[in-house]
Amino acid sequence: MANLKDIQRQIKSVSNTQKTTRAMKLVSTAKLRRAEELAKRSRLYAQKMNQVIAEIAGRIECNKIGGLENRCFTEIENPKMVDIIFVTADKGLCGGFNIQTIKAVNKLLKEYKEKKVKVRLRGIGKKGIEYYKYNEVEMFDTVINLSSKPDKTRSDEFIITSIEDYKEGKIDAVHIVYNGYKNMITQELHVNRVLPIDVGDFDCEKVESNSMMELEAEDEEKMLDSLIEKYVNYNMYYSLIDSVAAEHSARMQAMDTATNNAKEMVKSLNVQFNKARQAAITTELIEIISGVESMK
Amino acid sequence: MDTFKLEILTPNGEIYNGEAVSVVLPGKEGEFGVLAGHASLTTLLEAGVVDIEKEDKSVESIVVNWGVVQVDEEKVVILVEGATAIRGETESEIAKALEEAKELINEVANSSSAIASVSAKIESAAQKLI
Repeated sequence: MANLKDIQRQIKSVSNTQKTTRAMKLVSTAKLRRAEELAKRSRLYAQKMNQVIAEIAGRIECNKIGGLENRCFTEIENPKMVDIIFVTADKGLCGGFNIQTIKAVNKLLKEYKEKKVKVRLRGIGKKGIEYYKYNEVEMFDTVINLSSKPDKTRSDEFIITSIEDYKEGKIDAVHIVYNGYKNMITQELHVNRVLPIDVGDFDCEKVESNSMMELEAEDEEKMLDSLIEKYVNYNMYYSLIDSVAAEHSARMQAMDTATNNAKEMVKSLNVQFNKARQAAITTELIEIISGVESMK
Repeated sequence: MDTFKLEILTPNGEIYNGEAVSVVLPGKEGEFGVLAGHASLTTLLEAGVVDIEKEDKSVESIVVNWGVVQVDEEKVVILVEGATAIRGETESEIAKALEEAKELINEVANSSSAIASVSAKIESAAQKLI
């Protein structure tokens, strides 16, 4: 039987851990609320932006805008080089949040390797970067402290390299991999291809009857370019804020489980402690009684 | 008077959502106004001031730095990157909004004449409020 003092020490340490995890859970809950609010407000903008882009892309597809072609809308056959951007958290202790993203990136990397396509890996968030550094996978560039504090300017600065290289033809696709927020208890993994823009199923006839679009011929290219840039910028930023919300929800959950586990552990340790104490008392009593008996 | 639904959205949320009688927009090709029943169009906006005339004849000015507008028969949706509404109850609140608006414009506009013309518009909008 374990020493009484040892058990006592263990109980103390476990209940201290429990206090920490509970505090971390509360912090995450508060942060989650803010992040969730931001993501929610932004979602409306994302929807409208996608609508506008889809409409323009559809028109180009249906040739409503006279013969305009843009690299950002055309599917590229036999890509040679692609960008993969991953978003992970800067901090751990959030369950499988980071590893899920990393797994998805690995899967994508493998797929491209089989097709003999070169990949430029661009990392956001300490945890993912650490992982690839440890595994000696070469990364094109890395950014830290952005995924925990999404900032529009910094996110724009980061993504612009990909947009420009894409326009120049240096790369043939841009993917963003991140773990997004679904609800309080689930996260949803997103693997988004932001460039070339996925036109999807677009109903040409619907456009014709619905509305017309005014586009001045000479400015078409410029207008599209600036719109696409904003679209991709925004997609990057949205990935970041969605990822933060997901990170906090994942951490909240992980910390909740940790608190519960600690509670269970304290309970079983207490039982052990009581048993040990009782055993000690019993032994002592027996000793006293047998001492008295022998003196008779 | 005929009204239409106007929505102004930024990445950080809605800045305006309601009925409007007319709206004046700083288009890439020049300023243009939209009334109810306008033909559909989609175009880009430059940095400038969006003037919204509401049902009660009051005018609200919102400064934007970039945008894309989608107009159809019953609805106008403006997506902007950054926007500040020039409104407020007290003079100090208006002054603060004015400050923010100017900052927004200075960040994006590249020619000083553009900044000057937009600033002048902002000032006059603020004057009306005070």
